[in-house]
Amino acid sequence: MASLAAKGISKVFEDGFQALTDIDLVVEPGEFVTLLGPSGCGKTTLLKTLAGFYDATTGTIEIGGTDVTAAPPEKRDTAMCFQSYALFPHLTVAENIDFGPRQAGVPKAERRDRLEGLLRQVDLEAHRDKLPNRLSGGQQQRVALARALAMRPAVVLFDEPLSNLDAKLREQVRREIRALQKEIGFTAIYVTHDQSEALAMSDRVVVMQGGRIDQVGRPEEIYARPETAFVADFIGAANLVPFEDMGGGRVKTPLGDLRAAVPPAGNATFICWRPEDVELVEAGAASENVIRGVVRDRAYQGAHTELHVATGDADLGLQRLHVAGAAPAEGAEVAFRLGADQIRFVRGALT
Amino acid sequence: MTLRRTLTIAALLTPGLGLILVMVGSVFYIAVAQSFGYYNLSGDSAFSLDHWRDVLGSKQFGRSLGYSAYIAIISALGSIAIAYPLAIWMRKPFRGSLVVGSLLKAPLFVPGLVAAFLFLNVVAYHGVLNQFLMWTGLTDAPIRFQNDRNGFGVIFLQLWKNMPLALLLLTGAVQGISDEVVDAARDLGAGPLARFRKVIAPLTVQAMQAALIIIFIGAAGDFAFQVTAGPTNVQSMAQYMVFLKTSFGRWNQAAVVGVSLMGLALVGALGLAGLARLTLRGLKW
Ligand SMILES: Nc1ncnc2c1ncn2[C@@H]1O[C@H](COP(=O)(O)OP(=O)(O)O)[C@@H](O)[C@H]1O
Ligand SMILES: [Mg+2]
Repeated sequence: MASLAAKGISKVFEDGFQALTDIDLVVEPGEFVTLLGPSGCGKTTLLKTLAGFYDATTGTIEIGGTDVTAAPPEKRDTAMCFQSYALFPHLTVAENIDFGPRQAGVPKAERRDRLEGLLRQVDLEAHRDKLPNRLSGGQQQRVALARALAMRPAVVLFDEPLSNLDAKLREQVRREIRALQKEIGFTAIYVTHDQSEALAMSDRVVVMQGGRIDQVGRPEEIYARPETAFVADFIGAANLVPFEDMGGGRVKTPLGDLRAAVPPAGNATFICWRPEDVELVEAGAASENVIRGVVRDRAYQGAHTELHVATGDADLGLQRLHVAGAAPAEGAEVAFRLGADQIRFVRGALT
Repeated sequence: MTLRRTLTIAALLTPGLGLILVMVGSVFYIAVAQSFGYYNLSGDSAFSLDHWRDVLGSKQFGRSLGYSAYIAIISALGSIAIAYPLAIWMRKPFRGSLVVGSLLKAPLFVPGLVAAFLFLNVVAYHGVLNQFLMWTGLTDAPIRFQNDRNGFGVIFLQLWKNMPLALLLLTGAVQGISDEVVDAARDLGAGPLARFRKVIAPLTVQAMQAALIIIFIGAAGDFAFQVTAGPTNVQSMAQYMVFLKTSFGRWNQAAVVGVSLMGLALVGALGLAGLARLTLRGLKW
């Protein structure tokens, strides 16, 4: 286990494309951090820069307090789990796992202990002598994981390791990864474009957009207090509405005049509220922060019903509401209230 | 598979495969038969071991066999040794890689004999190379490069002609290895040599074997390079075969040499291919 610190990392590819800009990231020993962002935002590039496959154009990388910016991948105390698994097709499961320790000249007895321990931990003892192409996707994924862990690396880097698995297996393997991390203890940086995966697994989430970090925080913080319109929109569902600041937390919006518990910062661009944060009220209720509209679309989701509601301003688009219990029918007029402390302000533009 | 199905497939294959087998088989048959005294063009056709005894007993045959094997082994291994680094270097496209690749493969399109004569012009006693060496003052008098006793001229020509073939085969194989697999080896601590030994070579061994076999067989049966650029104190198998026939009209003895040459091709090619695999298994770790 070791800490990892990346300072001022930027990456410009040979063709002049700038994939990373000013990345600052500190990961504590034993922490599980995910890099979350849409496809093409630079997650893999950042991971490969941390692993040493790419040279950072600017910036420094420290692992366990040692500067490794100039070290090649084979000299860095990191191990990567590739999206394609990248198992050695000509080596058996056991040989794949043993590859790193053998390369590093670990004594034989120690190597055997590691191999046996890992085979047990990833539940592949019965498959040790098989070639990778005889394994299912989930098993290959576990071999890749065991192979990386056999190095006893300070930091394990995961590049969308579950993206090739079906939904059910994904959930199982993701629990296994987390359990192994707690059991063995390694620092993990985990790339995904799946926000639910990020929220479920991470100690902290790093949300990236266009080669920059938008926000870093615990999953609850990221969800409850998004700082940018992009984060609010990308993580979970959010309603984003432009506003005009009237002072003292009062804002003028296309939904009507609202009052927020905390007044907006100077660079705020939208008010943001989550679909589940509303409360349906009587049509005639005269109270603060009540919004009226017509249900245009209704989708029953089991635990809640999702409503798309048209409000007064036609340009604004439909607002999303999640309603537990009995929900109004399509075409019904509804009124709902936003709590003053559920209204948050975010900066940045919608992409 | 049922018998019926097997027969159907065999019947379908007959027009193509059958023709090839008949053509190859008949040539092979005649050569073997002739070496045992049949199809005798200058006497009685009858079974005889005399031709084999005469040829195998001659000193010249032993020298030819050894020489052809030597040229073929060095050419096959040398081509691979040069082609591998080039194939790895050109694994990923880079600016100008297409041009470099085409230039490297150009010798495939130059007939061997033409190349051999070009080569002679360069290394001849009053050739370009000697002129240059004397001009630079490195040597006072021309050096005899042509028809050198070690067959270096022939080996050079073989490498020049065959390396592109090895490159063609190996480039395809090396490009078939995914970047992430190579990266994974790196990530697990393997430096360039370990990556080659433990990942790239084992995953391309079939292409390597194909190249070794094709080049060995071609070089073992060389006639053109040997006649133009080879040493004059020893004959290659093919040269010896032609020599026996044209100089003495000993068809049956020529057939013995021909059959031996086929044997050399088979044994040598399989031997090299097997050796490649065994070496890799030994090197696996
Ligand atoms: N070798 C490269 N040369 C030039 N551009 C690249 C290279 N690799 C990736 N990119 C670009 O950098 C951006 C980020 O890529 P990547 O890090 O793979 O994104 P992600 O993993 O978040 O989907 C993309 O726009 C991609 O096209
Ligand atoms: Mg990626």
